[in-house]
Amino acid sequence: MKGNRQLHDAFSKRHPAVNFVFFLGVIVASALIQHPAYVLAGFVTGAIYYLMLNGAKGLKFLLLLLPVFVFVAAINPLFNTDGQRILCHVFGRPYTYEALLYGLALSGVIVVMLLWFGCYNQVLTGDKFTSLFGNLIPAISLLLVMVFRMVPNFIRKARQLAGARKSIGKGAGENATAKEKVTDGLTLLGALTTWALEGSVVTGDSMRARGYGTAKRSSFMIYRMTLSDWLLMAAMVLLLGLTLVAAYFGQTAAAFTPVMEIAPVSWGLCSYTLFLMIPILYHWKEAAQWYISRSKI
Amino acid sequence: MVHFQIENLSFAYPTAEGRESLANVNLTIEKGEYIVLCGASGSGKTTLLRQLKSVLAPHGKKEGQILFNGMPLEQVSQQEQSAKIGYVMQNPEEQIVTDKVWHELAFGLESLGCDQKTMRARVAEMACYFGIQDWFHKDVEILSGGQKQLLNLASIMAMQPEVLILDEPTSQLDPLAASDFLNTVRKINTELGTTVIITEHRLEDIFPYADRAIVMDDGRVIADDTPRNIGKLLYTQKNHMFAAMPTPVRVFYGGEGEGDCPLTVREGRTWLSKTCPDPKVNTLPIEELPAGKDIALSLQNLWFRYEKDSPDVLRGVTAEVPMGSLYAIVGGNGAGKSTMLKAVCGICKPYRGSVKVFGKPVAKYKSAELFGGCLAMLPQDPKSLFVKKTVREELEEMTADREKIAEITKICEIENLLDSHPYDLSGGEQQRSALAKVLLTSPKLLLLDEPTKGIDSIFKEKLAGILCKLQKQGITIVMVSHDVEFCAKYADMVSMFFDGQILTTDTPRRFFGNNSFYTTAANRMSRHIFSMAVTAEDVVQLYRKNREG
Amino acid sequence: MKKSHIATLITFFLLIPATLFLGAKLPGRTYYITGTLIILELMIPFFMAFEGRKPQARELVIIAVLSAIAIAGRVLIPIPDFKAIFGVIMLAGIAFGPETGFMVGAIAAFGSNFVYGQGAYTPWQMFSYGAAGMLSGFAFGKGRLPRKAWLMGIFGFVTVVLVVGPILDSMSLFLGFVKPSPEAFGLVFIPGFAHNCPNALCTAAVMLILGKPFLSILNRIQVKYGMLT
Repeated sequence: MKGNRQLHDAFSKRHPAVNFVFFLGVIVASALIQHPAYVLAGFVTGAIYYLMLNGAKGLKFLLLLLPVFVFVAAINPLFNTDGQRILCHVFGRPYTYEALLYGLALSGVIVVMLLWFGCYNQVLTGDKFTSLFGNLIPAISLLLVMVFRMVPNFIRKARQLAGARKSIGKGAGENATAKEKVTDGLTLLGALTTWALEGSVVTGDSMRARGYGTAKRSSFMIYRMTLSDWLLMAAMVLLLGLTLVAAYFGQTAAAFTPVMEIAPVSWGLCSYTLFLMIPILYHWKEAAQWYISRSKI
Repeated sequence: MVHFQIENLSFAYPTAEGRESLANVNLTIEKGEYIVLCGASGSGKTTLLRQLKSVLAPHGKKEGQILFNGMPLEQVSQQEQSAKIGYVMQNPEEQIVTDKVWHELAFGLESLGCDQKTMRARVAEMACYFGIQDWFHKDVEILSGGQKQLLNLASIMAMQPEVLILDEPTSQLDPLAASDFLNTVRKINTELGTTVIITEHRLEDIFPYADRAIVMDDGRVIADDTPRNIGKLLYTQKNHMFAAMPTPVRVFYGGEGEGDCPLTVREGRTWLSKTCPDPKVNTLPIEELPAGKDIALSLQNLWFRYEKDSPDVLRGVTAEVPMGSLYAIVGGNGAGKSTMLKAVCGICKPYRGSVKVFGKPVAKYKSAELFGGCLAMLPQDPKSLFVKKTVREELEEMTADREKIAEITKICEIENLLDSHPYDLSGGEQQRSALAKVLLTSPKLLLLDEPTKGIDSIFKEKLAGILCKLQKQGITIVMVSHDVEFCAKYADMVSMFFDGQILTTDTPRRFFGNNSFYTTAANRMSRHIFSMAVTAEDVVQLYRKNREG
Repeated sequence: MKKSHIATLITFFLLIPATLFLGAKLPGRTYYITGTLIILELMIPFFMAFEGRKPQARELVIIAVLSAIAIAGRVLIPIPDFKAIFGVIMLAGIAFGPETGFMVGAIAAFGSNFVYGQGAYTPWQMFSYGAAGMLSGFAFGKGRLPRKAWLMGIFGFVTVVLVVGPILDSMSLFLGFVKPSPEAFGLVFIPGFAHNCPNALCTAAVMLILGKPFLSILNRIQVKYGMLT
């Protein structure tokens, strides 16, 4: 799975709880807030972090987000005819300025969420998720771990099955009809299932032979909370809390239709942006520290 | 101190209609002993081993009792059994539960509910002892078969068992990984005093070091003695398990030698030097390479890599296989031997070079023409070919011609397996059923990928018999194998595959006779006095000739 | 009373109403968060029940294998966009009952997103895939629909078009692409229907062709090892 990739990002090396709380905060906040300034902050920080994680290859994904942005923004006013300044008429219905802005904000929200989910997928890999929830949902975590183990194994086996079948002249070739391909693929799927289930009996035995089900399971913590984890956690809670206070005082409010009312930008945006920049700032800090300590070697 | 006391143990599976899989077994296993359990497939070895751990014991009718440390096994709590009785199974792949090496190491301890501190200490200890700290954070998926089995062993040892039970742990490994694994087991036994009970096909690496060997046949213990004495017993009883004995043992009794039976190659050499100091006849007639025959398969300068940026796996493979021969290709693990076979079948497409089958480039064949009556491959894992509920249906998938099915069934000796589910068969039976399926395409050129993997010596002989029959029918066979003994005994030509190419090709006698490391145990044992003796039979033949006169 | 029953009651009478109430009360655009929370809450009883019954090793392994097969199955059919995943999930439900069917669906959805990427859609996928497994488990349970290939095929088609697809599509509504209105419903569900149809056809094909052999494979395992029902 994706966990193999060695990331050069310092934040992803932190405890999974830190990663998880951060992304939970980011995603919930970006789903709720549609104030343009906040959305923009979410986009800029998200894009920087995404590029930090993926390097130049990340640009492709950022470019792909553009059509999504335009499409969702443009389509919204077609269905939402509220608003005062009418720009034009489409299919005999008014296309308003406010609805367009609303659409822009909405599609901004969606793009920002896509972007941050992209980062999430790089940082919070399967093994981090399962070790984080190993104590809360032990059976489901174990189930996931087993699925992570099996999927690549099954894919390898599936290829092997298809190859073996091909080398005795069975199986659909490149010129086969769709029906042949489907029938053959399903025959292989059946064979793969038989193979996998027979093997699963061994796996089950191997679990029981190692005492599964004889006691209350504990879970091995490969990640440990260190002081920097706690500090990061504290910073996150503080900044997120401040943003919440700002939201309570209406700093994040933005209404577009029927009447446009966008709250003026204030200190809330600062705390929110700082919160979003935690991974970036943390990485810079670590990089600087590494640079300094390396120069002493 | 007695560790396991087995008293009058009998066992019958519920479906066996009273036929006992274990009959009146009595055994005493002392603490710290290293015991090897041998017997043909189906002799009840696995059934017996599984009785030694309650969670793994199959359902069925059981009589007699097993005492563990003097207590009836049923009364030992599951938790205690889990920790104290370690059990390693055959298949490295399927025993692994989790996706990360570290997690697999900790799995048993997690199940027992150990606290963090203990777990950390034990996991670290095991990782160091087994030398797996370098892959501690890796995905298990990227490990080799040998590494996976070592991980299985380590994750059991993390629970600090008193007894280690291993059921054919190396049958799926290549020889190098297998002896690595068995050395680790021996180290555990000698350094930690853990009792070891092991069943194995490859006795060469175990026999010299075991304290006792127990032989089972048809659910009964027929011999229980030191390894040195077991050989004699099996030889005098004409037991078919004799074929599984290490080469020195087979040579010794085959030549009706005197004195102490040698168990290792070193002992064998000493014994030969002593009893046959200067042989009058020291070499065997050399077979010539088949010449002037038509070429069944020709490979010209094949180059292949799996991905654009990955290293080349085939680096200019060139070979010619004469019609009607049994051509064996040996070489290390991951050298690209299987890839070469895949390239012949067109599963891998070489980016340079040509493959000609019976003089015609493979690319010019239509798929139906190539695989219908010309070329077919038996994959490494015979299970890869099974898609139906019974062996009969598997065969009927290939052809509607009943006579042909009957004929092939007879050749492969699977008449009595036709109504079984392919997955209910033993390794050797699966191998032959898959071979039957392959043969129903009536290939003139048959490719075999590691055909002896995971099958015992008795099945190997059966397989050799089948290959011989096929060869007589004019089928050309190309085989890729790690099994040097098998190749030395049955092949017409042997090639060495190394570094993505075929380096040398010769007759088995000259090939193995000229190698000093990569050769058979028989050759290593006798090369100081005989030349070109590569199988146990060769050595016996020369030994007898010299003794007789 | 079992823990999981209490959890069910709490979920339905406390958690979900509270979420709805708060969602309506809070200012701003809360549909997505409210919707996601409710979807997650709906799954809590299933997961609690699963955790609470302390599943045996073999049950765990079977669910893992079926979920992994559902995910890995896609490499076997060399037609892009041919989705066998729903078929496998629903057959798992038929063979092993609604609870297992739900778990296989939810885990297959969640697990596959670790490969292909999690997103705002994850909870919706988990719920709808799980629902497919659960429904088929109910429909073909003992004494209900006969396990005929054609019937399973039709059931597969209908379930994907009427249940799985619409649940997934409804996410776009909650995500708030557009303001909820009759037109928006049309905008979401009509194209949704068009793109669910191919998936439904695949599912029907899987159930029709693979249904019988698959059930006999699963049955063999059940008989051989005397497990689940």
